[in-house]
Amino acid sequence: MNEPSALLTGRGLARCYGRVRALQHVDLDVNAGQIHALLGANGAGKSTLVRIISGLDRPSAGTMQFQGKLYAPADKRAAEAAGVQIVQQELNILPTLSVAENLMLGRFPAWAGVIRPRRLMELSRQALNRVGLTDLDPATMASEIGVGHRQLIEIAAALQRRCRLLILDEPTAALSAAEVRHLFDQLRRLKQQGTAIIYISHRLDEIRSLADRITILRDGRDVGVWNSGQLSDAELVRRMTGEAESAAGRPFVSWRQSRTALRISGLSSGPVQNVSLTVNRGERLGIAGLVGSGRTELLQALFGAETASAGRVQVEGRTSDAPFGHPAEAAAAGMGLVPEDRRHSGLLLSESIRANMTLSTLRSFSSFGMVRRTDEAAAVKRMTVQTDIRCTDTEQPVRTLSGGNQQKVVVARWLLRNSDILLFDEPTRGIDVAARRRIHDLIASLAQNGCAILMVSSDTDELLDHCDRIAVLSAGRLAAVFERPNWSREQIMQAAFSEYGARTRPSGDLCSEGDHSE
Amino acid sequence: MQRTGILPAAGVLLLPLLFLPGCRDSSETASVSENPADSSNGRPRVALIMKSLANEFFSTMAAGAEQHQADHADEYELIVNGIKDERDLARQVALVEEMTAAGVDAIVIAPADSKALVPVLRRARQAGVIVVNIDNRLDADVLRQENVRIPFVGPDNRAGARAVGACVAEHLQPGDQVAILEGIRTSDNARQRLLGFQDAMQAAGMEIVDSQSAEWEMSRASTVAASMLSEHPELAALLAANDSMALGALAAVRAAGRSGQILIAGFDNISAVRSAIQEGRILATADQHGDQLAVFGIEAALKILKNPDEIPDDVETPVDLITAETVAP
Amino acid sequence: MTGQAWKRAAVQYGGLLGVVVVLLLVFGLTSDNFLRRSTMISIANQIPDLTFIAVGMTLVLICGGIDLSVGSQLALASAVLGVLMTDFRWPLWAAVPVSLFSGSLCGLWNGVVSAAFRIPSFIVTLGMLEIARGTTKVLTDSQSLYLGSSVEWFGVPLSGIPVSPAFLLAVGTVLAGQFLLTQTVFGRYCVAIGTSEETVRLSGIRSWPVLVSVFVISGILCGLAGLAQTARLSTVDPNAAVGLELAAIAACVIGGTSLMGGRGSVIGSFFGVLIIAVLQTGLAHLGVSDASKQIITGCVIVAAVFLDALRTRFRSNGA
Repeated sequence: MNEPSALLTGRGLARCYGRVRALQHVDLDVNAGQIHALLGANGAGKSTLVRIISGLDRPSAGTMQFQGKLYAPADKRAAEAAGVQIVQQELNILPTLSVAENLMLGRFPAWAGVIRPRRLMELSRQALNRVGLTDLDPATMASEIGVGHRQLIEIAAALQRRCRLLILDEPTAALSAAEVRHLFDQLRRLKQQGTAIIYISHRLDEIRSLADRITILRDGRDVGVWNSGQLSDAELVRRMTGEAESAAGRPFVSWRQSRTALRISGLSSGPVQNVSLTVNRGERLGIAGLVGSGRTELLQALFGAETASAGRVQVEGRTSDAPFGHPAEAAAAGMGLVPEDRRHSGLLLSESIRANMTLSTLRSFSSFGMVRRTDEAAAVKRMTVQTDIRCTDTEQPVRTLSGGNQQKVVVARWLLRNSDILLFDEPTRGIDVAARRRIHDLIASLAQNGCAILMVSSDTDELLDHCDRIAVLSAGRLAAVFERPNWSREQIMQAAFSEYGARTRPSGDLCSEGDHSE
Repeated sequence: MQRTGILPAAGVLLLPLLFLPGCRDSSETASVSENPADSSNGRPRVALIMKSLANEFFSTMAAGAEQHQADHADEYELIVNGIKDERDLARQVALVEEMTAAGVDAIVIAPADSKALVPVLRRARQAGVIVVNIDNRLDADVLRQENVRIPFVGPDNRAGARAVGACVAEHLQPGDQVAILEGIRTSDNARQRLLGFQDAMQAAGMEIVDSQSAEWEMSRASTVAASMLSEHPELAALLAANDSMALGALAAVRAAGRSGQILIAGFDNISAVRSAIQEGRILATADQHGDQLAVFGIEAALKILKNPDEIPDDVETPVDLITAETVAP
Repeated sequence: MTGQAWKRAAVQYGGLLGVVVVLLLVFGLTSDNFLRRSTMISIANQIPDLTFIAVGMTLVLICGGIDLSVGSQLALASAVLGVLMTDFRWPLWAAVPVSLFSGSLCGLWNGVVSAAFRIPSFIVTLGMLEIARGTTKVLTDSQSLYLGSSVEWFGVPLSGIPVSPAFLLAVGTVLAGQFLLTQTVFGRYCVAIGTSEETVRLSGIRSWPVLVSVFVISGILCGLAGLAQTARLSTVDPNAAVGLELAAIAACVIGGTSLMGGRGSVIGSFFGVLIIAVLQTGLAHLGVSDASKQIITGCVIVAAVFLDALRTRFRSNGA
């Protein structure tokens, strides 16, 4: 039942915010029973476009038709009533309610205003089964479940409503490999049933395996629409960025020196148990592992953001080898952390690029407690150039920057402080392809200048492409350390599961076992 | 809470206890002159329920009552309670209920509100507790509606205010402008004093150009009085329904640079106002013998207890005019 | 200041100044003697207490905290002053430092408990509200203390100029507060902590010294407010400033300070104080009933905040 019939058509859609043109003259045709990918760098207008389709925003110009009728939803409710459901990047799960209550929020099965608990559970059970969360109890509090599951619950909630067109904005950013595979199965099934899907992602591999058609946006303009197999990855990237060079195939250059920069012995903290590692200057050490294996906690403990219960941390030029008790001590010893959740724990979103960049080094730009504005501005200017931050003015709030540029602001903060051990937690999550390459280039240049780098990533390819060595954590323990080029993706995966004990069946469905660890 | 010991934590948390007094009574707590549980010796137990004990007028009243009990320790027991601020009606109602439940023989009460307290006092009467009303007279209509008789022992506020007003009028010419700072309008005291001031001003032919509530408060009174002074440049006198407000008015007059040109009068004769009267900054106040008001009430209650069938009529207590000539040093 | 800085200030405070002017005009038209020099002087001499407190409150709010105990701290500081001067016959110059010290102690307690033990400042200062008020009543024996002329010079207009030393000090405090907030490392840390304490921590900065200092500053300013009020009334009132915390928070919010932290302006809060004071005085001039006063005050507070929200939204959309 794959006869292409245009379910939704948009013609000449445009949206201006003040003088900023987020979208101009975009055409779009989405067919029933197809998965339609929207591709584009951050700020290309993908989110604006789907906001318009889902009634969250109104176009400044242009028209839409849905199922052959003029379609101009006044708000999200109107769009939902028509059968257009959106699952946004920011999750709308209320942590104080149960999974079932979250699923049915606004549509509680009730009798005269009294909720019917059994019916509520039944309906949510169905909704959860639909996205394959068969062993999740609907009565669980939403606060107790992981990010990946929350994403699936959002999708389940959207499917629970009348759904002709489902819009997914970066649904896999927080999902584990198993969850992604599962989600894709469900999406394909929906497609079979005739639902149209608009799918936004930065990940070309996902789009290749999932999408039927691809619309590419660049700088708010519609570059064109292609069938899925029509373009190679390199061509897709070129059309998204407008640049000719390709990302793949650049040789890895090691900048590892012989001097040890950081030595960790027997470090334990929370789930992390007895981890010992050394990192040399100029070395890039990748840290792999499943979600919940203690990767983030390791970096946090190393940086003093979590209290270590045991172990030693030796840093060049530091006399004590006790673990750091507060990030202030770690920063003073030359360490810097680029946290995973950069919006909430890495940046002051409403503050300027300048204020964010100098946050850690204000004292060196001040005399008698007063900030010397000119010195500060000069340093910020220098760093903006050095880290290649694209902005109009260093006074603009970092909220207005793209993800990649935001990440560079955090890095610049530590560079201003001359930090020579940098801890990156998921440095390219939610960052578009072109910007991702710039971040990797920046990390490489840091290594070249002698920085020791620890990099946590869920994207094994990222580690394989950009690290000298890869340490694999499994259930909080250091399972293995691989040295370039003696590694393979399979070895890393096996190591990642190795500490989960008897439950692990190497040839079975590895990933679903891993889910239990969350 | 990283690596913080329990001891320093406890030390910091207990720090404010250093502020606590050694032996002075805290105003919030009930002070019991004798062990209230010990009623086996047959002495009647009297509960005195006041308004805010933070208000000097009421704390003096309570002190007078405690002195009286100490002098007559073998005749009765006394339990004194107050509320946090003048408007905390709910707490006062709860206090009446608690005292009734504790089985006291008599309640002597200065009601925070002249209507709202009537129902709970009726319930206390039904529970067999003798109730005597002091300071602020309960509303006659509501008493009638609730069908309960509660004797009032206290001063005639209207007459007191009339006397203060007359004293001020003696220093003015007929036709002069005066303004009144009222108390909280829901209280009977405030109404009676306002009426008393109005009586006196009418009788002497003065013009009342402004009359606003400053809610019994000093700082508020200073703000309101400052506005009155600039709105009515011809103003010759400010009549305040209590001494706190008179002090606030005094501050406003001084800030306006018109010290000595405006006559100020108050009511209650609190200690802070006495020096101002001696210095001539405030002309007059009324002394309703606050320290004895509760005592009058307690004596009335004891009398009823001896003779339960004879509930007396209201008892009027004296109000004296205080000026620079009569003020106690 | 450069031309641009003036322009920015005009954009930021133009709305608030507009509200003040509109209020002055409305009261000027409806009341006979409102628009006079004497009224303005009387407003100027009434606002120092609230101004001192609003400056401290602004800093606390910007750091993402709240200080509900300011009214009680004011009362406690003035009680300390009064008891030292009456019962112990201390001279003013000796009593004032002790009084300010009592305020700073309350602030220290608020700051240490909330920052070091991670208890929300709402709860800690709610506790202090009761503790300080109770202590005040203990110290004064719940009686008003009349201090006479020994302190009044601070609260009455000077001979040459029509404003009091308290007013001058309050204005100086506003300027110093704004300088502290915008020009110093400390101020930057305040804004950063209020925006995201986690980001500040992960940037290698300890936030507790900043938080404790902010509460201590608030406490000292409460002490100054206590001095100003005592001077204005020549009397220590144990029931002084009940509910003043709400007026101070209202002033800050009117001035554009966010209750969520991270955004605010000391000068804005000063405008908030002005709006509240003009409103209070104007309504007293009109002699309207208490009920109407409260309703009108509430409406003006909401309207002022609403206008400010409109302005911010307009600017962020327009830019």
